[in-house]
Amino acid sequence: MIQISDALLSLTVLSVLLSLGSNRLMALVKIMAFQGIVVSLIPLFLEQHWPMSTGSVFFLQIMLLIKGLLIPGFLYAAVNKIKIKREVEPIIGYNASLIFGLSFILIAAFITDRLQISLPMENNLLMITAVTTLAAGLFLLMSRKKAITQVIGYLMMENGIYLIGTALAKETHTMYVVEFGVLLDLLVGIMIMGIILHNINSSYDDVDTALLGKLKDN
Amino acid sequence: MLELTILIPLLTGGFAMFLPARLGRGLLVVTALLHLQLTVMAWMGKIVPSFPQYFVVTNEGMLILLVTSFVFLFISLYAVSYMKETEITSEPIYHGCTLFFLATMTMVTMADHLIVLWIAIEATTLMSAPLIFLHRSKTALEATWKYVMICSVGIALALLGCFFVVLAMDLGNVHAPITFSSLRTIATDLDPLWLKAGFIFLVIGYGTKMGLAPMHTWLPDAHSEAPSPASALLSGALLNCAFLGVYRAHQLLYQAGLGDFSSKILVGFGLLSMLIAAIFIFNQTGYKRMLAYSSIENMGIIAFGIGIGGLATYGAMLHLIHHSLIKSSLFLSAGNVLLGYGSKLVDKTGNMAKLFPKTFTAFFAGFAGISGFPPFGIFVSEVLIIIGAFQQGKNISVTIFIFALILIFAGASRLVTRMCFSPCENPDILVEENWARTLPSFALLAASLALCIWLPDSLYQTILSAIATIGGSING
Repeated sequence: MIQISDALLSLTVLSVLLSLGSNRLMALVKIMAFQGIVVSLIPLFLEQHWPMSTGSVFFLQIMLLIKGLLIPGFLYAAVNKIKIKREVEPIIGYNASLIFGLSFILIAAFITDRLQISLPMENNLLMITAVTTLAAGLFLLMSRKKAITQVIGYLMMENGIYLIGTALAKETHTMYVVEFGVLLDLLVGIMIMGIILHNINSSYDDVDTALLGKLKDN
Repeated sequence: MLELTILIPLLTGGFAMFLPARLGRGLLVVTALLHLQLTVMAWMGKIVPSFPQYFVVTNEGMLILLVTSFVFLFISLYAVSYMKETEITSEPIYHGCTLFFLATMTMVTMADHLIVLWIAIEATTLMSAPLIFLHRSKTALEATWKYVMICSVGIALALLGCFFVVLAMDLGNVHAPITFSSLRTIATDLDPLWLKAGFIFLVIGYGTKMGLAPMHTWLPDAHSEAPSPASALLSGALLNCAFLGVYRAHQLLYQAGLGDFSSKILVGFGLLSMLIAAIFIFNQTGYKRMLAYSSIENMGIIAFGIGIGGLATYGAMLHLIHHSLIKSSLFLSAGNVLLGYGSKLVDKTGNMAKLFPKTFTAFFAGFAGISGFPPFGIFVSEVLIIIGAFQQGKNISVTIFIFALILIFAGASRLVTRMCFSPCENPDILVEENWARTLPSFALLAASLALCIWLPDSLYQTILSAIATIGGSING
């Protein structure tokens, strides 16, 4: 069982690095779908979650449905429907982003190592993956211009939080709290709806260039 | 049935979505009155929560609920007249969403469960976002997008904070409900390392919503783009609710014996917010943005006061009340200015003292109040915070505090005198002022004035018992 979960974790890290390096929006959406599926499968292969109650199995299925199917489908629709220009438009270049991504892994490993003192279970890899995903998501959110890429960054960050939740979930208390992370997916859904409904292309809307960056301080 | 204060605005909000605009305005005021009545009844202890595992009556919660409800009533009275004058394509959305917004804010003030508080604060973001987008302009869209994006990141980090607090329970082998009131009794058993980590994430998360620098960047945009009644609500009510999240986290740490740690962080964030506000207010061109930065400053002052402890906490609580009253009054006056001149830029206004005497009186009095001049309450609260800080021997912090206050006064007064007294280049007045749109501002200012002269004993006792939970007292 442990080996499968480790394989899934490395796939997650891989998807994080891929997303930082990809320059096509559609590819990014596909990577997110893949990451969503992997992330929502991970709890199934963790020893600490066994034996599973019917409730948690049911919840896992819902997460799989939302993260793997619903939100990527939404993103796909958004990219197609409003004819967003296909390039990602980075503020920080792809190679530099990749280097950032790799350094996040190092930092995550360092942090996890340091915190080992009081973490309840031997889940080093899980913690490292989770922190990396969280940091890379935040980075993607800040380093890309398009509104839809920001949403993707947010989604990734949220996957990281879900993973941290799973890493910590052992006793009864945490199990009841982690589930509420699903509400963050609701936020993601609403943001994508906003993009579709209001045709937001870039977060600084580019229809009228005179308006660009109007909300700024001198 | 304390939950009625949440349910009633929720229901009427749903109705208001489908009512014609004129009826919706009436419903808004009626609900506001009903809400205030229920709040006062709760204040007197006549109604209690039906779901004590999720909701609770706390002193600080009741205080913020009363302020919210009171401010909301006057803002909705103002909105009746304001909405007649502005062209908004979908007024029912405004009515529905403000009522939903009121419901979610009420939920924040009563939430006891960690996750219920988190959900309620997330819900305030969702319910207020349509209010910011009401004018449907490009800039409004940008402001709304920033607001939703930045606050959502904050909320996500706050959830992480909740995870860590719960982990601290697990590691301490504590078996209790995940509510603040039960955690309070067993706080010392919690694992200190993860509790600290949880606190940092909670403060960053809820602090984003509260407008603490450097997570404040959404605030000036949202406050300047929203219609004035909505800006007044955001500043006068929402920021307090987010503050309650920070306050509860601080309370938990204090009871766990880690009060020093959380106080230092709060003082740091507070001073940073004040300094950032002071820098950005200096070269400001829009008057609504100026008011927004002033809100950041005042949230900084409150965080500073709470962090300092002792007498300063009493000052911070007073500051919270008076800031809500005066700032929402200022935003309402700013709405009149916007209607009158048709521009948010300071340069397009001028000679307000002659052209709009009523609005001028309210605006200038509000400015004097927010800058800390007597006879308004902010004078008292700031003096108390400064004395409290000196009592605690925080000389360097208090020096920065006073320095930032002076800078902000200098920056803001330049803009306000420009608006009020310098000649206006093309004085065509779009919408005349009237009493319906100035009386609510005066009423809010008068409330601040009255509270400064005579603080009702029940209010005084409530503040005292609220600050007692974080080690504050009137005796230093």
